[in-house]
Amino acid sequence: MEAVLIANRGEIARRVVRACRESGLRSVAIHTDLDAEAPHVHEADAAVAVPSYLDVDAVVAAARDAGADAVHPGYGFLSENAGFARAVVDAGLTWIGPSPEVIDLMGRKDRAREVAERADVPVTTRHAPDAVPADAYPVLVKAAAGGGGKGMHVVREPAGLADALATAAREAASAFGDDTLLVEQYVEGGRHVEVQVFGDSHGNVVHLFTRDCSAQRRHQKVVEEAPAPDLADEQRARLQDSAVALAREVSYVGAGTVEFLVAPDGDLCFLEMNTRLQVEHPVTEEVTGVDLVRWQLDVASGATLPPQDEIVARGHAVEARIYAEDPYAGFLPQAGTVEHVLWPEELRVESAIDGPGEVSTAYDPMLAKIVAVGPDRAAAIASLADGLARSAVLGVTTNIGFVRRLLLSEEFAAVAVDTAWLDGEAAEPLLVAPELTRAVVDAAVTARADLTQPDDTGFGRSDGWRLGGSPTAWQETLMDPAGGLHRGTATLGNGLLTLLDARGSWVVDEGHVWRLDVPHDVTSPRMVAATDADVTAPMPGTVLDVRVAAGDHVRAGDRLGTLEAMKMELALTAPHDGVVGTVGAEVGQQVPMHHVLFTVEADDE
Amino acid sequence: MSVNLGGVTQMHDLVDELHARLALARRGGSDRARERHVGRGKLLVRDRVDHLLDPGSPFLEIAPLAAWGMYGATDDEATVASAGLVAGIGRVQGREVVVVANDATVKGGTYYPMTVKKHLRAQTIAMQNRLPCVYLVDSGGAFLPMQDEVFPDRDHFGRIFFHQAQMSAQQIPQLAAVMGSCTAGGAYVPAMSDETVIVREQGTIFLGGPPLVKAATGEVVSAEDLGGGDVHARTSGVVDHLADDDEHALQVVRSIVDTLPRPTPGRSAVGARPPREDPETLLDVVPADPRTPYDVREVLRRVVDDSALHEFKPLYGETLVCAFARIEGHDVAIVANNGILFSESALKGAHFVELANQRGIPLVFVQNISGFMVGREYENRGIAKDGAKLVTAVASSVVPKYTVVIGGSYGAGNYGMCGRAYDPRFLWMWPNAKISVMGGEQAASVLATVRGDDSEPEEQFKARIRDEYDAKGSAYYSTARLWDDGVIDPRDTRRVLALALAANHAPTPAPTYGVFRM
Repeated sequence: MEAVLIANRGEIARRVVRACRESGLRSVAIHTDLDAEAPHVHEADAAVAVPSYLDVDAVVAAARDAGADAVHPGYGFLSENAGFARAVVDAGLTWIGPSPEVIDLMGRKDRAREVAERADVPVTTRHAPDAVPADAYPVLVKAAAGGGGKGMHVVREPAGLADALATAAREAASAFGDDTLLVEQYVEGGRHVEVQVFGDSHGNVVHLFTRDCSAQRRHQKVVEEAPAPDLADEQRARLQDSAVALAREVSYVGAGTVEFLVAPDGDLCFLEMNTRLQVEHPVTEEVTGVDLVRWQLDVASGATLPPQDEIVARGHAVEARIYAEDPYAGFLPQAGTVEHVLWPEELRVESAIDGPGEVSTAYDPMLAKIVAVGPDRAAAIASLADGLARSAVLGVTTNIGFVRRLLLSEEFAAVAVDTAWLDGEAAEPLLVAPELTRAVVDAAVTARADLTQPDDTGFGRSDGWRLGGSPTAWQETLMDPAGGLHRGTATLGNGLLTLLDARGSWVVDEGHVWRLDVPHDVTSPRMVAATDADVTAPMPGTVLDVRVAAGDHVRAGDRLGTLEAMKMELALTAPHDGVVGTVGAEVGQQVPMHHVLFTVEADDE
Repeated sequence: MSVNLGGVTQMHDLVDELHARLALARRGGSDRARERHVGRGKLLVRDRVDHLLDPGSPFLEIAPLAAWGMYGATDDEATVASAGLVAGIGRVQGREVVVVANDATVKGGTYYPMTVKKHLRAQTIAMQNRLPCVYLVDSGGAFLPMQDEVFPDRDHFGRIFFHQAQMSAQQIPQLAAVMGSCTAGGAYVPAMSDETVIVREQGTIFLGGPPLVKAATGEVVSAEDLGGGDVHARTSGVVDHLADDDEHALQVVRSIVDTLPRPTPGRSAVGARPPREDPETLLDVVPADPRTPYDVREVLRRVVDDSALHEFKPLYGETLVCAFARIEGHDVAIVANNGILFSESALKGAHFVELANQRGIPLVFVQNISGFMVGREYENRGIAKDGAKLVTAVASSVVPKYTVVIGGSYGAGNYGMCGRAYDPRFLWMWPNAKISVMGGEQAASVLATVRGDDSEPEEQFKARIRDEYDAKGSAYYSTARLWDDGVIDPRDTRRVLALALAANHAPTPAPTYGVFRM
């Protein structure tokens, strides 16, 4: 093996490039047009453009053309696509991962479950979809071919089963082309604990201990740690032994992860096996000192794994996934131009972006993983929270502040976060948007004051001199992105991280990023809070469209109707959130200028 | 207050008294008035100025002690603090502007006679230095009980708008933010401005307020509907911008100033150097008693760059020190009294003033003058015509002139040394300064001689005259009446002059004659 094509992008592609370099292997990146300037492209020894990371033929062709003799799939994309693995093998290249047959086998939830049962791995009770006992609820309906939460539905009452089955079948058919469904006992309040396993081509299988990934939002992991905390020794042993047994059962080669659910009563049950490297593999690396990607490369080259008793875990590691999303607006994915990136220097950071660049919604919104290690769990959490307080992606909203809140929550400290916790009411305090504080404004003003280099004479001398009074403090009014004006005072450093550019300042406060600009566009009409309830005809014209009726609740900017005048169609929009009072127009009506078309009574603040 | 003559602490005492008075004046209206003002979401007047100006930039306030002790109760000399108007020069978006801001906490921001005088003075400064004007309006208009001293004369209320029209014509921008009432005549401040802002549900502009409207026509209307922000921004067009609050309005003004054409750069300053002699020690080198002689160079060295003076004719007419120097890099030609004026001193002064005009260098007069020498010898040698040469040279100067009265300012010395009548761009007093036609002592003697009625014992008569001259010749009496632009802490002399020099954006015309050697 001499050259590895990495069939992936982002931080994992960079991670594999690094491992290849350390192993003396050449690395070949692939990229789409959108990613032509992405860091992984620059860091690899060679790069080939492909129309899509999911285009099997193009990726295999890229490997051949670039002279790669092996393919590392990373995670996501084609990493669990048996067809791709087969195509790689058929092309005479080394596939860094388990065989296509094993991928196929474990990729199906129904068949994976059968393997688990054979290997004496604990599983939950399974029901035939048409014969779910009345006392079995809640149950989980899932697509046999599925993954990533698609086609999964919790059913709490018999009455809901038929609908859930129909929906799941439809989703499964469209997502996976297979509408086979499984119905299993649903475990409430369970934690997600997984075991890292590794097999070599000589029949050896070892485990690398546990990870806990219970902090999830809609099945998407947010924080992971190793080892899984708060488990009894026998639970731990049972998990690890089961995972090894399962891998052995299928003669597993390469890195794999066996996922379990740990019920509040201590029951364990098998969830699924992931036949690839996991996103959260660094926490295992940090506690075991093993480079899992190099192990993948070595095993693919025929190396033999060390015996189990030589693999030890020390301390605790916690990883936070940094996503481009707005936690305070329903976790809406964010895109845009990153102006600057701040990562904590002393922590392990696996990032997709290290500086100015574009974040697109075309791909996974994960920007980085930040990993902290400590002698114990509390120390690792504290270290990560501290690192996150000094992390920021300037220009694109991220979940950094939110993850930091999660890490510092009592529930997380108490290992009370189960897989549903973040989606429930208990997590709501974490989702209250932070408010702009005086300290943030002061920090922004201070940064500007510190950097201003005035001339030292006349009115340029910035000492706030007053004839007959004490000097004024350095104060400045800055503008938030919504146009709000905030007055701040320069103070001796209040510890908040700030970054300046020509237009204003960024301030990082506990992982939350604030942007405060020098006021601009202050004469824009939007700057004046509307108090006028009347929406009037801006010109004489004909009413084309009336979209609301009296009593309707509207949001600022909602279209109320349309007026045609002078060959233009003018949108009539709500000046503020509120309730439509009167509608003074009918479709087709001719109205004079300033005719009151709608009134919108503003909501009380 | 009693001044202990001869001790070095006297100047410190006078300066402490100055700061105490300034602190009182700077508070503005009563606690109640200020609380009510802030309670309405309005900024206090000096905060408005701070928010308007560039962060950390200095503000050269004009006459903060205007109207001191003139109106209201005798035990409250700050009844009409700062004449109810804050005026001065500050920097907005990197350029100097004159700010004129009503203090609504002082008698509703109404115009007393001194308020009008101060407003006009600020406009004059704007005209002479070609500085844009920003009016922050919050005033109930003329103070009606004193309308005869506010309304009818040439330099009364109407002159404000005359000035606005004149300046606008001279391309000196006139900007107004209506942040409160703007009634009757006051309505013309925004109406006569080039670009205007109003604060919604706070600023009002009308010729007649709701009570007057009701009385005149019976119409019942709210202030907001009569002349509020929405009315003027959307319907009447009296204002150009609507703002949500004071902060927003001031940011809009800043935005407007940013759109104004840049002033053409004038004579540029060279690198400034601090004086070698610390200006902080000024109070220790100047005796408070004007009768105690000292070398004025001790003062100048604590004002000019590098304490460097290039003296002109140092061996001739030694009672007048004439020197070229720099203040924060600005070239200046300094004329400073160092004793009584003789013919030679007057001739030297006239020569030097002509030289400064020839070179286009601003003149700085440092006044401490008891007058021209009197007596047969001097009169016979024609000291009057030599004094007239100095007065003529000063009056005919085309360069900007700045005057600081650091001691006495008496008689014709005041004229020759560019007193108020000679149109210095600025005139400041030190707290120890005295200004009157002659000293109290001399006046008492002269008046005792010429008085017809001698029923009062002579000593008592003289004492009364002396006391009256002392009171009416004091710096505070002067500054209350806008005879000057402020009483300053002597240690601020350099700073004040430097700001005034930097604020000049008017071109200097060429002189029409060469230098006459005298």
